[in-house]
Amino acid sequence: MNWNKLGKIFDPTQHKLANNCVEFAQSPQTLVFEEFIRIYFSTREKDSAGKYISHIAYIDMDKEFKELLKISNHTIITMGELGCYDEHGIFPFNVLRDNTNILGFIGGWSRRVSVDIETSIGLAISTDNGETFKRIGAGPVLSSTLDEPFLVGDPFVQKINNKYHMWYIYGTNWIQNPSKNVKERVYKIGHAISDDAVNWRKTNKQLIADKLNENECQALPSVIFHNNKYHMVFCYRQALGFRENSKDAYRLGYAFSDDGLNWQRDDENIGIEPTVNSWDSDMMCYPHIFSCNNNIYLLYNGNNFGRFGFGLAVLEN
Amino acid sequence: MFKWKKQGRVFNPAEIKGKPWLSEFAQAPATLIFEDFVRIYFACRPPRDPSSGQYVSYTAYVDVKRDNLLDIISFSESPILPLGAPGTFDEFGTYPTSILRHNGELVAYFGGWTRCSSVPFTVGIGKAYSNDDGKTFQKVGKGGPIISYTPDEPFIISGPKIRRFNDRWYLFYIAGKKWVMDNGKPEPVYRIRLATSTDGVNWIKHGKDLIQTKVEENEAQASPDVIYWNGKYHMFFCYRYSTNYRENKRGYRIGYAFSDDLINWTRNDEHVGIDISTNDEFDNQSIAYPHVFELDGNLHMLYLGNEVGRFGFGWAKLNG
Repeated sequence: MNWNKLGKIFDPTQHKLANNCVEFAQSPQTLVFEEFIRIYFSTREKDSAGKYISHIAYIDMDKEFKELLKISNHTIITMGELGCYDEHGIFPFNVLRDNTNILGFIGGWSRRVSVDIETSIGLAISTDNGETFKRIGAGPVLSSTLDEPFLVGDPFVQKINNKYHMWYIYGTNWIQNPSKNVKERVYKIGHAISDDAVNWRKTNKQLIADKLNENECQALPSVIFHNNKYHMVFCYRQALGFRENSKDAYRLGYAFSDDGLNWQRDDENIGIEPTVNSWDSDMMCYPHIFSCNNNIYLLYNGNNFGRFGFGLAVLEN
Repeated sequence: MFKWKKQGRVFNPAEIKGKPWLSEFAQAPATLIFEDFVRIYFACRPPRDPSSGQYVSYTAYVDVKRDNLLDIISFSESPILPLGAPGTFDEFGTYPTSILRHNGELVAYFGGWTRCSSVPFTVGIGKAYSNDDGKTFQKVGKGGPIISYTPDEPFIISGPKIRRFNDRWYLFYIAGKKWVMDNGKPEPVYRIRLATSTDGVNWIKHGKDLIQTKVEENEAQASPDVIYWNGKYHMFFCYRYSTNYRENKRGYRIGYAFSDDLINWTRNDEHVGIDISTNDEFDNQSIAYPHVFELDGNLHMLYLGNEVGRFGFGWAKLNG
């Protein structure tokens, strides 16, 4: 692959956002309309305890990505109820057009005591073209199971031959950070399949081989079918030191597959790297691959996990 | 109409010495019948952790004589299950536990507890097997639960009772419906649910509350203990108000329902035949977590007394 970077296209600190959100535009996810393209993202408010809550917002852009047409100024989806899996934030929010509905897959966060958080994946449906979403129930559609004990998150769903395929991540370990009194998470990319987007069967398999070491953290799988192959862009990092050291921070990874289940990791051919002294010099993460007007694009976050927005690249032939 | 005759308390956990993990509470009794004795599994707690002020729960057992369940042979040497690893569903407790012998294997389904931030806890159900006649159990899988949360069962999947009827596995359990605020403190509302399985691995949730509410819309129901007896399925369970339930009149009582098909249940608490004691006994404020089983031609019930088993569990025998 060979990507042409088009630069940062949205900075949340330059705009007014709903729900008291002031920074972060993380994990951009697209919904393509005839006249424009809508990009959902997670942005943050600080709650009364001084902790972050991620809300969902969107921007509409023209299909050449030249002009910002609209910024959502309303609540697209409420936070989860007391004690529910998505009480403390939604990140990411993956949208899929499905006949006349838009499905919204919720990466829901709830705070824990011995570890920071637990996550699960829920489903909400929009019947108003993605302006608002309503949950199908208070609980998740995909969460921990015998062999995937925690941290089920980062949904990315596509409909292929009348079945829903979800690529997502699941936790394998909480490891002690030796330099701080906290535990750090380790997670891998998995897959599940469904007839109705509600009841899912997990494949129960780590899809993408580790490159760094067994504690490599893999996140945000994003998949597209192109030139008779499935292509996945994801991000990966070291389990420790990833906040402080650029060399341990998120990078984009790449894999390809004939069937969506068996993947060949091929990071050497990702075709996109950090740019020195730029908004993505230290980190590249939370990729979203999609097609629009016969082009294939990649949205992603740069430094500081997307605190100052997201950028775009286009695939060169 | 049932009529239970109380036989007394099996033991007071506060009086058990030399077992630090059994210092307070004896909750959720469940039996496994051996040829010469009855093993009663129960949940118990070490003293509160001084730094967090919170409890953890373990499951252990006491062996008692078949002809007199108040006659204690011995206690287990240790809890039967370790707590889970950091971040897993059972990091802070394994309670309650239901054990069944099938085809020479001993399987345990247990509630696993973890601590949350906005609410005190949530619970998931795990599964384990024993290779030493029920003295210890090994968990299945890599630290996760056997039943997942779903849109209609968002949290607190707990209280498993594993049964086998008609060549099928039946898992009766409870699922949280909502948290209600009681003087600034969240209290959970939960109801009795059912999942079935042909292999004990893949479970199909029935997806409905099995038992109607009686005392209020937010009634909390627990311990769905099912037995087939005299041509019918009988369920003994417990129920309470969701708030101020530490007060006697709003605390746990034992309820009863019957069914022909395990799916459709008729609640009939008037026939339960057991209530709190009127004297100064350990069960004069509330009774909870019934377990009913057949032994040597009689039906027996084990149940918790005041403060959900802080002072132990009692034994009752069906009269006539």
